[in-house]
Amino acid sequence: MNTRQIRFFTLVRREVTRFFKIKRQTLGAPLLETFLYISVFGAALGSRVGALHGYEYIVFVVPGLIMMAWATNAFANNSSSLLQQKFQRSIDDQLSSPASPLELLLAFSLGGFLRGLIVATLTFVAASLLVDIPVEHVLVLLPSLFLVGLFFAQLGVLIGLRAEQFDDVSFYQTFVLQPLIFLGGVFYSASLLPEPFETLTRFNPVYYMIGLVRYGFLGYSETNIALSLLFLTAAASVLFAVNLRLFMIGYRLRA
Amino acid sequence: MKALEITDLVKRYPTGTEALKGVSLEIEQGEFFGLLGPNGAGKSTLIHCTTGLAQPTSGSIEVFGHDAVHHYEAARMAVGLAPQELNLDWFLTIEESLDYHGGYFGMPRRERRERAHELLDAFSLLDKKDERTRFLSGGMKRRLILARALMHRPKLLILDEPTAGVDVELRLELWHYVQRINGEGTTILLTTHYLEEAEQLCSRIASINDGQIAATGSTRELATEYGVSSLEDAYLGLVGRKELSRAHIGSDVE
Repeated sequence: MNTRQIRFFTLVRREVTRFFKIKRQTLGAPLLETFLYISVFGAALGSRVGALHGYEYIVFVVPGLIMMAWATNAFANNSSSLLQQKFQRSIDDQLSSPASPLELLLAFSLGGFLRGLIVATLTFVAASLLVDIPVEHVLVLLPSLFLVGLFFAQLGVLIGLRAEQFDDVSFYQTFVLQPLIFLGGVFYSASLLPEPFETLTRFNPVYYMIGLVRYGFLGYSETNIALSLLFLTAAASVLFAVNLRLFMIGYRLRA
Repeated sequence: MKALEITDLVKRYPTGTEALKGVSLEIEQGEFFGLLGPNGAGKSTLIHCTTGLAQPTSGSIEVFGHDAVHHYEAARMAVGLAPQELNLDWFLTIEESLDYHGGYFGMPRRERRERAHELLDAFSLLDKKDERTRFLSGGMKRRLILARALMHRPKLLILDEPTAGVDVELRLELWHYVQRINGEGTTILLTTHYLEEAEQLCSRIASINDGQIAATGSTRELATEYGVSSLEDAYLGLVGRKELSRAHIGSDVE
């Protein structure tokens, strides 16, 4: 490895080491949460809900849970990690190193992206042990999950950069992210909602992300797949560009 | 080539505060240079601009001939910073702190391991190497901060008030160590509030006040220039607090 590769690998290793050192909180808790969702909505309520668009309720819900796991973990990891390091000023060690803004941004982004990947994969494995989860369109599923992970990893970095106290991070998580995900159709199909809620749901970007992932797994979608992919790519790219610009000007990092 | 060459450095914060008002400073290779000044004089801002933690408004900074602002990679490789705050990463152990720092500066794994062992030994941290940094005493944190700054073998070591709040024993220990590495060729820029420390260690001193360099020279040169007998009196003259001179206090008692 050359100097630059060693540097980048170390920056990423720092982020991954952080969440592994507190794995009960960063990996265990999200897995338990997903397990509880599957138990409550799948086993307890699912038997009474019946089939949704021809799919067993639990099978309909699992793709949304996988997407939710990746999204929330990517976001939570990056926003917390950045804020903690700013808070302790330990981030100065990376900032005064020869690392470029791009290297720093990629490393901070990858931390949450990889944590989301691990939790989402474990969620899929655990759900597959309980029910048979089909994978109908792997070529849509993989880029969709990748883009969802990238989008929320970037959003986490952005909020972590802006945040000045822990309350700032939890505000976005509790009052913005969680409602968007829950109202985006993880646990239900938007087509079952009465008006105006069905139309309102279509203004929620997470609805299209869930649509993409559900289509990848089940082959069922209420949204335009190509358009959704295009918009998600554009949104993730814009967020990445904004973050890169903020790292370049040292926004709330360098005085 | 100078170890550090700062020309007309201005730093204005978004609030409008001008922390540096056109500072120019030269430090020769191998020098032990002291930067004195009261709180808020601009010492840390100058250091932060040199190490990339603050962005200068205008002016230039060169470290061993490398532009530290626009083409910072080579400049930052040459600098080691031991900051005033104990800014250790709580998630890492002592050994990991050194290892990660070495990694940020591109050191290969084996070299990192050997260098970390050498520094842990030198700073009497070897038996604590697996302890997380957040559980260390203040003195140990201070030692680790210095060890971390030295990890990548910088040619210019910047010490921002390294002995603030440490006991006499550790202060002397740190003095011995930095004198040794200065003897081995490392250029050192030290900011301190302790005039005794500056007198003891530094070959040349600059005094900074209100964002401007007020005077530069050896202890003797500064004292002669201000017509006083000690660095302390020269310093008090520079910051406009002559009434605090010990000589004054003595005469008041009489």
